[in-house]
Amino acid sequence: MVMTTHEEKMRTVRFRVAAAPHIVVNPDICRNQCTVHACVYVCPANLFVPLDDGGILFNYEQCFECGTCYIACNQEGAIRWAYPDGGYGVTFRES
Amino acid sequence: MTTHPANQQFDVIIAGAGPAGSAAALLTARAGLKVLLLERGEYPGAKNVSGAVFYGSAILNELIPGWWEQAPVERHICRRNIAFMSPATAVALDFRCAGPGYATAPYNGFTVLRPKFDRWLAAQAEAAGAFVLTSAVVDDVLREKGRIAGVRVRREQGDIYGKVVIACDGVNSFLAKKAGLQREFHPHELSLGVKEVIGLDPAVIEDRFHLTGNDGIAFEYLGAITEDVHGGAFLYTNRDSLSLGLIGQISSLVERRKRPYELLERFKAHPAVAPLVRGGKLREYSAHLIPESGWAMKPKLYTDGMLVAGDAAGFCLAAGLYLEGMNYAMQSGLAAAETAILACQKGNFSARTLAVYQKHLKQRHVSTDFRAYRHAPSFVNGPRLQNLYPEIVAQGMEQIFRVDGAPKRKILPLAYRMVRQSSIKPGQLLRDVYQVARTYLW
Amino acid sequence: MHIAVCLKYVPDPSTIEADPLTGSIDTGRVLYMMNPADESALELALRLRPPNGAVTVLSVGPVEADRLLQEALAAGADAALRVWDDALGSLKPIITTALLAAALRMKELPGLVLCGGHSVDRGSGTVPALLAEHLDWPVATDVTQFVLQSGRIRVQRRLARGARAESEITLPAVLGLETGLAHLRQASLPSLMRVKHTPIPLYGLEDLGLSPQDLHFPAMTLHEIMPPRPRAQAMFTPDASAPVPERIAQIMSAGAAGKAGKVLDSGTPEQQADAIIEFLHQRGFLEHRT
Ligand SMILES: Cc1cc2nc3c(=O)[nH]c(=O)nc-3n(C[C@H](O)[C@H](O)[C@H](O)COP(=O)(O)OP(=O)(O)OC[C@H]3O[C@@H](n4cnc5c(N)ncnc54)[C@H](O)[C@@H]3O)c2cc1C
Ligand code: SF4
Ligand code: SF4
Repeated sequence: MVMTTHEEKMRTVRFRVAAAPHIVVNPDICRNQCTVHACVYVCPANLFVPLDDGGILFNYEQCFECGTCYIACNQEGAIRWAYPDGGYGVTFRES
Repeated sequence: MTTHPANQQFDVIIAGAGPAGSAAALLTARAGLKVLLLERGEYPGAKNVSGAVFYGSAILNELIPGWWEQAPVERHICRRNIAFMSPATAVALDFRCAGPGYATAPYNGFTVLRPKFDRWLAAQAEAAGAFVLTSAVVDDVLREKGRIAGVRVRREQGDIYGKVVIACDGVNSFLAKKAGLQREFHPHELSLGVKEVIGLDPAVIEDRFHLTGNDGIAFEYLGAITEDVHGGAFLYTNRDSLSLGLIGQISSLVERRKRPYELLERFKAHPAVAPLVRGGKLREYSAHLIPESGWAMKPKLYTDGMLVAGDAAGFCLAAGLYLEGMNYAMQSGLAAAETAILACQKGNFSARTLAVYQKHLKQRHVSTDFRAYRHAPSFVNGPRLQNLYPEIVAQGMEQIFRVDGAPKRKILPLAYRMVRQSSIKPGQLLRDVYQVARTYLW
Repeated sequence: MHIAVCLKYVPDPSTIEADPLTGSIDTGRVLYMMNPADESALELALRLRPPNGAVTVLSVGPVEADRLLQEALAAGADAALRVWDDALGSLKPIITTALLAAALRMKELPGLVLCGGHSVDRGSGTVPALLAEHLDWPVATDVTQFVLQSGRIRVQRRLARGARAESEITLPAVLGLETGLAHLRQASLPSLMRVKHTPIPLYGLEDLGLSPQDLHFPAMTLHEIMPPRPRAQAMFTPDASAPVPERIAQIMSAGAAGKAGKVLDSGTPEQQADAIIEFLHQRGFLEHRT
């Protein structure tokens, strides 16, 4: 199949999930200070889920470690971002 | 018993085993220096994404003659095509070359798959004597007496010392930031690339793109292919797959509230692209940032005990006609290596000694190219070049070729009318023509 | 005490892509790793190791498995060895375990052997028991927790349907551990660097004093693994008239709870058998009544 859903795309990627998250989002800031919610649109892995109350639900497991979210986010302190521990995280095979 | 490597002091510590880091490691190791190459992935290339056409064949050929015969390369590029897109049309500039240097050794460019290519390149550095350590994230630089004297790896007893550190840790370069050489970036300075590798039978690829043997093509797309988002798209042929991807400026994605993978789907569905990818099967989806702003986001390139190379230094030319980063990464990595070798000979690692890095960058045409194209990124990412002009060209061609019983118009009056109907002011048009010329011609 | 841990070099299932038509696997895209259950077994062994004890890791596998053994050494294992011989054909669990047992006998036998209970590739789950058989030791499988107590081990085992059992076995013993009991620690930087060029001793059949004939076991032959075949089944639906909490409880129990059994105490044996068959057919356990 050439045309694929986002879920189908993500299924082709290999992740070695670390025990601890490498990115932590502070939903209070998202809820109270952010109106743009840029992360929701730009994250290529679609990991930022907007909640009804304006907060954000974030799961780190399927992250490409690209850095787009922390650069797009305009709220100081909303995203704590680091690379996962050595050997963990995304492992591309063909890109 | 040999001493444990961890107890040795290294001459050179290189963070990041992309093309910049591995090239630097290869050259410094060959010079007999003790080299440590640290990579956070499970293997070199595990975290890396490019289009990827590697235009550094001639450079690498100087280091490893005939390198393509042993390296995992896909196809050599003998045809390039740049298309200006509107939603339903495409006007393209097609360049084919079967002449020397393109279709013959050392070849102008090869498509590669980074996880395989980077792994091979790092293995060359290892064979030359570098100590390559994977699964090692560098978190910080270590300072001693006011100079950078090593790095901190995120593991127990992770401090490790070296005479000179080369940061080749890619676009996000936390190391350059920790060393105080780089500032934080703005969303308009970086673009996000999303990519798919799509499996396709080699015979189908050769048929579809009119290729023989290991010939390959590089197609690039500008204009409405990214809709109203500033960016572009590409499609390259590998041996038994296609690499295609879409690049969008972060600020523009945010502003337009566009999801990159949805744009990618629509790119594949464009009438000019769909027949090229038909019948393929998705093998891998990936994403990575590109330091689009080149010269404007260049950090301070060196300080006492440390150099910065590759994407970490913003040496990536991503401006309209060009999408070249791996070759500049390699060139700057080599320039940093030459600098480190010299510093080791002198036994002096101060910023003053390391300043020769600039000279080496110039000799390897890195800084000269980036200075020459310093206007390109802001211009290419402007709204007129991104959307308006491609649209006008595409529509104009559509009218020129249309046969519908209406009288044919000559091109100039048609063009005049198209421009008049658009929102461009004549003065603006002239200025843009000048800009294009200044960007690409002189 | 000396503890041995068996590590298996396995393909990461998430990287195995079978062509839906031909069933063939794209081997170029498969990545290998330490079997997750073995990885947590190693971590538990390292935690259990007394100050004067030692942890040995061993693997039956090709040269690529050296990388795993080096990882284990970096994480803190004291010794590693690999068993491989080009004369080996397919590795049935009975053969793997015979090799492991022979390798363990090469040196002073350990007091405890930890294995992952299941591997993510074949996952026959028979390795701990077969190994214990070769060694003539007691075995506990499906272990979720264990503590050493004066020469014995108290183990907690997982039984079917979430039930648990506590038992005790004497040492030396083999334990088959569940997956995900512990996360393997990150190696320190000096250890990681040290193991990079550490050679792993290799034992072939001859080194183990075995000949191919010793590995001829009467055993089951695997012919084919078939993908699960979807079959129409009667779905359990909660009683719509019941109040919400009750319906939720019914859904959560997937119909397991509260299903009143029926005792067949009348009719001829044939009639009773028919009633059972009818029951199984209605519930989707049987496709045909005959
Ligand atoms: C979608 C896309 C398409 C592209 N197409 C092309 C193309 O066709 N041709 C071309 O020439 N260029 C292309 N580029 C640009 C090219 O990919 C980069 O310019 C090039 O990879 C830069 O090389 P580098 O060695 O500087 O950095 P990278 O290749 O990014 O390597 C950096 C390395 O450092 C490692 N690392 C990072 N941080 C740490 C840390 N803290 N500790 C340890 N290791 C670390 C990373 O894992 C990585 O291996 C493209 C880029 C993208 C995103
Ligand atoms: S952009 Fe930043 S602040 Fe806004 S929702 Fe996303 S993470 Fe939160
Ligand atoms: S780093 Fe990239 S993939 Fe990961 S959460 Fe941020 S935007 Fe998404």
